[in-house]
Amino acid sequence: MKAFLGIDTGSISTKGVVIDEARKIIARSYLWTEGDPSGAVRRVVDDLRSQIDLDNVEVMSIGTTGSARRLVGAMLEAQVVKNEITAHAVGTTFLHPDVRTILEIGGQDSKIICIENGIAVDYAMNTLCAAGTGSFLSSQAHRLGVEVEEFGEIALTSEKPANIAARCTVFAESDLVHKLQVGYEKKDVIAGLCRAVATNYLNNVGKGKKIESPVVFQGGVSKNVGVVRAFEDALGMEVLVDPDGHLMGCFGAALLAADAPVHRAEPFMFDVDDFEFRTREVICGHCANHCEIVCVYRDAELIDSWGNRCDRGAIRPKAKTETAS
Amino acid sequence: MRSFQSTPEQGVGEPRAKEQTEERGRIVMKSGSPRPLFFTGKRPRRDRHSRRKVSFFHFRSYEPAFKYFTEQVLDADFVPTPTPTRATIKRGEEMSADYVCTPFKHIIGDYAAALDQGADVLVQVTGFCRLNYYGELQEMILREAGYDGFQMLNFSYVPSGKIRDYIAYCKKIVNPNLSVAHGIKNLLGAYRMVEHIDAVRDRYLANAGFEVEHGSFARVRKQFLSDMNAATTNAQIEEGFRRAMDAFDALPIEKPVDPVRVGIVGEYYTAQDPTSCLNVEQKLLDMGVELSNAMSISAFNLHYNARAAQARVAEYCAYDMGPTSTFNIDAAKRYAEAGYDGIIHIKSAGCTPEIDVMPVLQRLSREEHVPVLFLTFDTQTSDAGLDTRLEAFYDMIAMRKVRS
Repeated sequence: MKAFLGIDTGSISTKGVVIDEARKIIARSYLWTEGDPSGAVRRVVDDLRSQIDLDNVEVMSIGTTGSARRLVGAMLEAQVVKNEITAHAVGTTFLHPDVRTILEIGGQDSKIICIENGIAVDYAMNTLCAAGTGSFLSSQAHRLGVEVEEFGEIALTSEKPANIAARCTVFAESDLVHKLQVGYEKKDVIAGLCRAVATNYLNNVGKGKKIESPVVFQGGVSKNVGVVRAFEDALGMEVLVDPDGHLMGCFGAALLAADAPVHRAEPFMFDVDDFEFRTREVICGHCANHCEIVCVYRDAELIDSWGNRCDRGAIRPKAKTETAS
Repeated sequence: MRSFQSTPEQGVGEPRAKEQTEERGRIVMKSGSPRPLFFTGKRPRRDRHSRRKVSFFHFRSYEPAFKYFTEQVLDADFVPTPTPTRATIKRGEEMSADYVCTPFKHIIGDYAAALDQGADVLVQVTGFCRLNYYGELQEMILREAGYDGFQMLNFSYVPSGKIRDYIAYCKKIVNPNLSVAHGIKNLLGAYRMVEHIDAVRDRYLANAGFEVEHGSFARVRKQFLSDMNAATTNAQIEEGFRRAMDAFDALPIEKPVDPVRVGIVGEYYTAQDPTSCLNVEQKLLDMGVELSNAMSISAFNLHYNARAAQARVAEYCAYDMGPTSTFNIDAAKRYAEAGYDGIIHIKSAGCTPEIDVMPVLQRLSREEHVPVLFLTFDTQTSDAGLDTRLEAFYDMIAMRKVRS
C-alpha cells in the first residue's frame, strides 16, 4: 500500500502523520520539540514507524512544514517543503470542504485564513508580538500552579470571568497578578485569561477580516475548551474543533506530498537514525554584509545550505544526481 | 540665536550684556602687518572656494542620478556611499532612538559611512511627515557622535519652496560659483535619468521573474546603472537608456499568457529600497511573479497629480492622510481594477500615515476581492518569517488563479 508522510516542526511541538492513498490518517504522532528540531523529528519518525507495518506500507513521498521545514526537508529528502499557512489551509479544506474561516493559534504564532469556495483568499499572521499564543498560556499556567492541559476545564467552571487586558502580554500579566492579589478566584482569573486570548486574537490577527461561519479552530490552543468557549461567545457562532486539529499542518503537508508530481524512487524506510545530521554556520566573507549561511551535513556530506543573500556566498553541494524538490 | 529676554544675572537698571554679533561694529586694533587700502590681495572668488565633497544616503538604485546631480548641477565632488551592509544598519540603529521610523536608521548609518569616506556635505530631502525633521536631528546626532567637519544640505531649511531660494541655499552650502544656466540644463538630465532608472526598474520587475537564462535581467540592469554612473552629459544618459531597453528586448523570456501579478504599494523609502525590505521584490521574482511597484521618485514626485488621485479615491477617504497615503490607496485601487492577483503593502515600523492606510486597503480588499498582504519592516535581518508569509501569499493567489 502506498502511503505519504507529513511532518510539521513547530517551535513548541513536532507533529507527524502517515496517510494512505484514501487520504486517511493511519499513524499520528505529537511530541515536544524541546528546542531540538532534528532530534524531535527522529523521535516522531520512530514513533510513526512503531505504529505501522513497514512490510505493507510504502511511504512514497514526504512533505514538511513548520518553522524548521527546510532543515527537516533536507534531512528527510522531502518532496514538498511548504509553509505552514498553505499546509493548514490545504489540510483543513480537505476535511471541512465548506469551511470559511480557519483560526489557528500555535505555540509562537497565530494566524487567520479566510476561505471562499475551498480556496484561501486572505490570511494574516501575527507580526510583532506573541501575545495570546500557546507559550503565553503555558507560562501563565506555570505562574498559577496549574497544568496548561487543565486550563480549559477550570475556565468552564467559572461564572464571572475576570476582566483581563487583552492588548499585550505584559499588561495581561500584570493585570493577572493584580486580580489574584485582590482576591479573585483562580478559576475566574483563568477564564478571564482564556477570554483575553480570544479578544487579543480577534483584535490583532483578525482585525479587518470578515469572520464567517463555519469557523474551524485549530493549533495547540484549540485543545483548550476555555478558549474555544471564549471564541464562541465573542463571535456569536459555533466554532468547530477537530480532534485532529493539532495535526492539520502535517496532514496538509502529507496531502501536498501525495499530490507532488515526482515521488520517491524507493520507499522511505524510516531510517533517519542511521545517519548523523549536523548543521554548521558559516559566516560569508565575500562582502561586509557577513551573511550567516547554514550548511546541513549528513554524515559529513553537505546536502543543503541556505541563508546567503547573493550568489557569491552560495555553498552548493557537490554535483550529484538531481533529486526533484 | 539672539535672545531678547533678560538673563537672570542681569541686575535691574544695568545695561544689557552685548552679544558677540553686536560687538562686531567696533574697530578692533590688531597687531601684525597693516592691511593695504586698495589692493586686497585676495584671489578671485572662484579660486577661493574649495570643492565640496557631497554625499547622499543610499536609496534604491538612484545613486547615479544623485551623482549626476552633484557633479553636473552643483558642480561638486560626489562621494558614493558604500553598499549598505549589516554593519551599516547596526551603526544606524545605535545612533538613533528605538522608536524612530526605520528609514531614519538606515539613512543615518549611511551618513556615518559617508563621513568615514571623507564627505563634507550631506544631503537630506524634505517631505510631508517626520522626514522634515530628519535632517536637523541627524545633523545633531552626528555632531554629538564626534563628526564635526561637515555641513548639511538640508532642503527642509528652504521653507518657501521657491527655486530661487533653493539655488541660493545650494550656493551658500556647496558651491558659490554655481552656474544657474548650466545647472538647469543638467537638472533636466538628472530628471530624465530618474525617469529612466524607474522605467528600467519597472521593466525588470515585470519580466525578470520569467527569464530563461538565470541572472540575465540583473546583468542588463547592472550594466545600465554603471552606464548611468559614468554619464557626464545628457546625451549619454539617453543613449545608455536606449541601449538597456534594447538589451531587455533582446532577452528571451518564458512568460505565461496569464501570469500571477502582484502590485506593491507602501511607504516611500521602505517599499522601494531593497535593503530596507529584505529584498521582497527579488524574493517574489524568484517565485515567478510579474511585479509592479507603484512607488518611485518619478511616480510620486515627478508625475503625481495629487488632486486627481484624491478625486479617484473619494469613495474610500475624504481627506489626505499624510505623505503617501492617497497615492497608495489610489495605486492599490488601480491594481485591483487592473485585475492584479494580489497587493503587498510595505511599511516601516511606526509609520503612522501608512498605518492609517491599512484599514482603507482592508476595505478595498473585501470589496474588490483582492488579497492584500501587510508587511512591516524594522531593522531585522532574519527573513525566515518573511519567507513564510510571501510563500503563503504566493500559494494562495496562485491556487486561486488556477481554480477560478
